[in-house]
Amino acid sequence: MATLIGGLGTSHVPSIAAAMDKGLRDTPEWQPFFDGYLPAQEWIRYHRPDVAVVIFNDHYNAMFLDRVPTFGVGCADEYHPVDEGWGPRQVPPFRGAADFSWHLIDTLVENHFDPEIIQEIKVDHGLQVPMELFWGRPENEWPVTVVPIFVNVLQYPIPLPSRLYNLGKVLRRAIESYDSDQRFVVIGTGGLSHQLQGARAGFLNPDADQQFLRDIADRPDELAGWSREKYVQTFGSEGGELIMWLVMRGALNQQVTVRHRHYFAPASMTGAGMILLEED
Amino acid sequence: MTQTREPAGSGHEPARDDDTIPDTPLLDRKRQLRGYRINKMAMGLGDPANREAFKADEAAYLDRFGLNAEEKDAVMRRDWREMIRLGGNLFFILKISAVDPIRITEIGAHQVGMDHETFLRERLGKKV
Repeated sequence: MATLIGGLGTSHVPSIAAAMDKGLRDTPEWQPFFDGYLPAQEWIRYHRPDVAVVIFNDHYNAMFLDRVPTFGVGCADEYHPVDEGWGPRQVPPFRGAADFSWHLIDTLVENHFDPEIIQEIKVDHGLQVPMELFWGRPENEWPVTVVPIFVNVLQYPIPLPSRLYNLGKVLRRAIESYDSDQRFVVIGTGGLSHQLQGARAGFLNPDADQQFLRDIADRPDELAGWSREKYVQTFGSEGGELIMWLVMRGALNQQVTVRHRHYFAPASMTGAGMILLEED
Repeated sequence: MTQTREPAGSGHEPARDDDTIPDTPLLDRKRQLRGYRINKMAMGLGDPANREAFKADEAAYLDRFGLNAEEKDAVMRRDWREMIRLGGNLFFILKISAVDPIRITEIGAHQVGMDHETFLRERLGKKV
């Protein structure tokens, strides 16, 4: 059966993509941010996962308000970068793991989660940036396949944090019941604190961000019990997307070891954090 | 007989100032109905042909999506605060900045009512 070898969490801010595209990686402003990912990149190179399940949200680039699935699972063979207004980024298309995607969809439905089944879709910075941060951008082909899980965290009602945590538990069941010797990582993306709209725009909460990076490892049940309002109050309106990390955490055992953790603020207008978790 | 309703707001809904969390406009039912046209117009800018149309004749492009006078005015004046108040969501209207460049921190500062440097310093803790 397939193996889950670790969980990763990271911000997916578009300015990170812009910084990479403009060659700003080693500027004084960005270097401390990017250097924070070096240990995780080393871990990836050493463990060579075959499949990355990426939990993220489309930021109204591939999806519009006409149809808003609360959860969607991509089961395509390929996911191309979407045009977010500046033309599609020069990132190689992501290879899908369609067979596992269908197995995941089966497992989810059997466990009372009913996702939209998505066979054709492009992906935005929400998936691109985490992949580039952990794997580096390849010349031609990604050394890993992806399974995108789309979550609506923008149009209300968004799902409850506890629901996402439970989704993670079913995701684990799907991985463990998948007849394959492939090695999986699960990546929760988004956050940390930021608010882009309204008179509270520019809201940052580095203390809460640092606390979250501790609690996601040690007290996930507590974080899963928070209300959506508490997330928005604590992390800002767009920072509320941090609930997507709970899918990653729910997929892992209760006991985990933090292999690496990094925090940097602000990346553009966002508290940027990452974590690498292994099971004990 | 069942009454049918357009998915987009009729344009008569009042703009919102009654956020549950102060100064934090969430895309809830009322707001997304109110902002449907603005958001659809901005979503269109993900297509290069529409970006060219927007650049060539902005008013005509906005008319194509049925924006009312208040909405058109907010877009054409690049009044970000007003676009949000009218139900625009940042992830849509940000695409306007791909056609007419402005930094996201400037959009933030405008909504807060601060000049850019003050916003960077006071909200984001930057040393400027």
